[in-house]
Amino acid sequence: MAPGLDKLQHIVVLMMENRSFDHMLGSLKSVNPQIDGIVAQDPYSNPDTTGNSVRPQPLAEFQAQLQPDPDHHFPAVDLQIFGGNPTPGRTANMQGFVKSYFHQQQDVGHSQKIMYYFAQKDLPVLTTLALEFAVFNRWFASIPGPTICNRAFAHYGTSFGRVDMSLLYINEPFKSIYSRLINATPKHTSKLYYYDTASSTMEITNLLQNQPELFGTYQQFLDDCQKGDLPDYSFVEPNYSDHDTDSGEEVANDQHPDHNVQAGELFIASVYNAIKQNAQLWESTALLVVYDEHGGIYDHVVPPPCPPDQFTASANDTGTGMPFAFDRLGVRVPAILISPWIPKGTVVSRIFDHASIPATVTKFFLGDYAPRSPRETNADVFIEPNGQAVDPARNLLSLNAMRTDCPDFDV
Amino acid sequence: MTLIPVPRPKNAWNPDRPMNALLKTQMEHLYDAEKRLPSRLRSEIYVNAIKTEGEAAAYIRAVTEAIHAAHEEAAARRAKPVTKRKRVIKIAAVADDRADRTPAPQGKKKSPGKSRRK
Repeated sequence: MAPGLDKLQHIVVLMMENRSFDHMLGSLKSVNPQIDGIVAQDPYSNPDTTGNSVRPQPLAEFQAQLQPDPDHHFPAVDLQIFGGNPTPGRTANMQGFVKSYFHQQQDVGHSQKIMYYFAQKDLPVLTTLALEFAVFNRWFASIPGPTICNRAFAHYGTSFGRVDMSLLYINEPFKSIYSRLINATPKHTSKLYYYDTASSTMEITNLLQNQPELFGTYQQFLDDCQKGDLPDYSFVEPNYSDHDTDSGEEVANDQHPDHNVQAGELFIASVYNAIKQNAQLWESTALLVVYDEHGGIYDHVVPPPCPPDQFTASANDTGTGMPFAFDRLGVRVPAILISPWIPKGTVVSRIFDHASIPATVTKFFLGDYAPRSPRETNADVFIEPNGQAVDPARNLLSLNAMRTDCPDFDV
Repeated sequence: MTLIPVPRPKNAWNPDRPMNALLKTQMEHLYDAEKRLPSRLRSEIYVNAIKTEGEAAAYIRAVTEAIHAAHEEAAARRAKPVTKRKRVIKIAAVADDRADRTPAPQGKKKSPGKSRRK
């Protein structure tokens, strides 16, 4: 009934760093109006601290533009989303991005750069993938906060009440997606590939320290793709730093400001090519490219409310004077699902966040599974479980025959 | 099939760039993990002096490799249950041998329970 789902054996997630949807893919609205980006006649803007209106412009640069690193901790993101209104019953308006960036350098001209986005021609990899496969109009970070707690949602379906960069999830009630898979009966395979040991993983305390057997390097990912040994579920981390290795210089490719965005483009293309160059793997794999959070950079879509998690961050923890029940998503990020079974130009407008990752992988490989966090239980899935009742309206891998016109990247 | 050229970044590599907040956090997590390692596997790198990406990467590499080494050592130790079983058999055999020998004089055997009752 759904040959793409029948064939599907591997799910790969590549999570990049700190860029918003409008910043990376906003330009595509002029190519496909279904994509909720930015065109010149749109009314979107932010006030700067002198009261002038600053509009998004396609002037983003690969490096050296967003220094210092735009603040994306909980209080700063709260300001970005609510425009600085602290009153109860306030309405999110996405009016505080320029204000927030101004706080860091007290430079009005510099603060306006937070509104810049990339022209389509600057990002040939990401924009091509978005136009060729399925781009998500409403994929949000899980929390209006920084990296670690957002990445936790991709691994555990929750951050166990954290809204910051702390990380100690040992003995928490919900297992990681990796533990669920390798301990299942029948057993499934799963690996988290970090770039190399000098870049390592952001899942140090919980997984690397306790379950190092779950890890591999990016070179192993390439080898596993070539040999057809890819696990059922793989999570790929980029290189987080410029460093020396035994084989030469490695450039950070995570796209975290102020790392070079073109290096990230090469990395995304490399992951895509590694899967595509093995014909058997290509027909049996779905690759999700997604960003962990917006990094303080402008996006025009108001993050929606969501069912709360069972945890609450205290007013002290949030730093805003208000507790947070994990009942609102973070800022929108780029997300693209890639498979030769997806029709070209698919645009998805259902709501997702990173809890959708363990939700999808669990449902696809394990079916019903408990216990899972309330946020994960309520998260939508981007790949339908392959049963008799696959809803064709929700199935993104919907083609009856595999595409043969998918692009290749020259890296 | 379209072949799309992907431009390479120019002059992007700078290991002397000050490390960002994410790297700093990652390093702090690794520092916590390092404290739980056997002392002979610890890096001896003074983390408070680390300022640049290149320095952070060197520390991250040292501790990541040490964590793997510690787990490999533990796995190797666990993989020696055969030796343990041999010891148990040996002790049992010795006990059997002793049983065959002349019993110890009764007077030397003391029951701690009985002593306590006195």
